[in-house]
Amino acid sequence: MEEKHTVLPASAGRTSGEDGPDSEDLVVVPIRHYGRWIASAIVLLFLASLVHSIANNPNFLWPVFFEYLFSEVMIDGLELTVLLTVVAMIVGISGGIVLAVARLSANPVVSGLTAGYLWFFRGTPILVQLIFWYNLAALFPVISIGIPFTGPTFFEGSANDLITPFTAAVLGLGLNEAAYMAEIVRAGILSVGTGQDEAARALGMRRLLAMRRIILPQALRVIIPPTGNETIGMLKMTSLVSVIALSELLYSAQTVYSRTFETIPLLMVACFWYLVLTSGLTFAQSVIERRLGRSTAAASARPNWLPGWRRQK
Amino acid sequence: MTGPMVRADGVRKRFGAHEVLCGVDLTVDRSEVVCIIGPSGSGKSTFLRCINHLEKISGGQLYVDGHLVGYRRRGNKLYEMREREVAAQRIDIGMVFQQFNLFPHMTALGNVIEAPIRVRKEPRQEVIRRSKELIDRVGLSSRMDAYPAQLSGGQQQRVAIARALAMRPKLMLFDEPTSALDPELVGEVLDVMRDLAAEGMTMVVVTHEMGFAQEVASKVAFMDEGQILEMGPPRELFRDPQHERSRTFLSRVL
Ligand SMILES: Nc1ncnc2c1ncn2[C@@H]1O[C@H](COP(=O)(O)OP(=O)(O)OP(=O)(O)O)[C@@H](O)[C@H]1O
Ligand SMILES: [Mg+2]
Repeated sequence: MEEKHTVLPASAGRTSGEDGPDSEDLVVVPIRHYGRWIASAIVLLFLASLVHSIANNPNFLWPVFFEYLFSEVMIDGLELTVLLTVVAMIVGISGGIVLAVARLSANPVVSGLTAGYLWFFRGTPILVQLIFWYNLAALFPVISIGIPFTGPTFFEGSANDLITPFTAAVLGLGLNEAAYMAEIVRAGILSVGTGQDEAARALGMRRLLAMRRIILPQALRVIIPPTGNETIGMLKMTSLVSVIALSELLYSAQTVYSRTFETIPLLMVACFWYLVLTSGLTFAQSVIERRLGRSTAAASARPNWLPGWRRQK
Repeated sequence: MTGPMVRADGVRKRFGAHEVLCGVDLTVDRSEVVCIIGPSGSGKSTFLRCINHLEKISGGQLYVDGHLVGYRRRGNKLYEMREREVAAQRIDIGMVFQQFNLFPHMTALGNVIEAPIRVRKEPRQEVIRRSKELIDRVGLSSRMDAYPAQLSGGQQQRVAIARALAMRPKLMLFDEPTSALDPELVGEVLDVMRDLAAEGMTMVVVTHEMGFAQEVASKVAFMDEGQILEMGPPRELFRDPQHERSRTFLSRVL
């Protein structure tokens, strides 16, 4: 009975005083964390009163919040935010891959220029870059594509027509993102053993083919998780383009409250939608990472790595 | 062509100030199996990698099938080849690595068909048919769709051999193909290599398997400190080594 001191008879009241009850009657009673219960109760109480006071605070103008939550102007802003995030990430990821491969190039001019690109775009504030792209027309009134200095021009246009707020935003966000993605992709490429590249070359593959078919698919394991973070970061970063008068989510809120002075409820609407989007992305990211994690866990017992999304046929 | 498959004339290789190969001479005839033995760090792997230009040689001349490796000769000048030409030269040279280096994101079959389809641009169905035969030949027809991580070391190495053979090489290079294997798996890989030799494949094999060398090799080359100290039929070299250093090396491994 001594070693069973956490185990009490099921009907302790009835059998009180008796020693050695039937073992089938024994019930395990876990340790009771009274401190935890009390602390939780206090925190929940505070939270409830906070929610209560916010919900009933007339200054938050909740009717206005609900009025604008699904209003056309905010939904349009939401759509533009999503569009900007998607396009900027496409530019960022493809640019990042190109930059990462160029950064690892044997050509010193190519890798040097790439290093310069990273230095500039990571070293200056994104807000400044956005304003710069937006004002490109002031610096270069005419943009033409052709052979430099002498040759013919294939394309010529006024910068004012070409650099709309949207293209300025995509350029600013995308080119900046490419610099960050380049480092992520580079780390992924370097995580793949040199033996893989040698095996590919020994089979007669050229550098780019080996990169595309052998190295990059394996680098994805390292590339995907931080790319999820970058996408969530990009979603919020799109709010910066409100400075160049592009009516994404935040700018839409601003246009409304500059007219109605209902600042807080409109910012709450914007926050609500940002939270909805980031929640969705976080969920997607955790699903992908769980799959990757499963495959690395399975592989750690074995000599090689096996990607999870290929294993389930 | 009837000349030797491999001809090395005074091949040198330096890494910075460190001279790893100091004038290697070696001739490998067609359908011949040459085993290279020698202590660790003597330059065996480096020499093998020079043969398919994974390393650029710093001196001497290296011919495979009568063609200079990595260079084109015009008059008395040597022009370095472009990446495309080097890659084209490697198509005819198969290589098997100590660490297998299978592509982990592809199945056994995927590993074997990759290069014939992407590099030789052969029709997919035809490549698949031929690759299945090759995998069958190395005794793995039941593991066709397994990923490398699901295969034992010996099975992985046999897939790696099939992958190299799928390019229909004229010459096969093996760099310690059984050194990373558990002892009981060595035999299955050597069996495949023995069959390959019997079919007349030209092979250069860096190995510590003296039994295999004795049985299969037409010549064994003993390499030490970046040079081939002596070379001869395995029977003679093993029984009566001429050099002090080959004698001490062989007394330790035989
Ligand atoms: N890329 C490199 N850079 C610098 N030194 C190198 C490089 N590759 C090989 N070496 C050096 O060259 C020498 C020979 O190496 P190599 O791998 O050819 O030896 P090995 O005979 O194959 O030895 P082992 O039996 O251990 O495989 C070693 O001293 C090694 O440190
Ligand atoms: Mg070696």
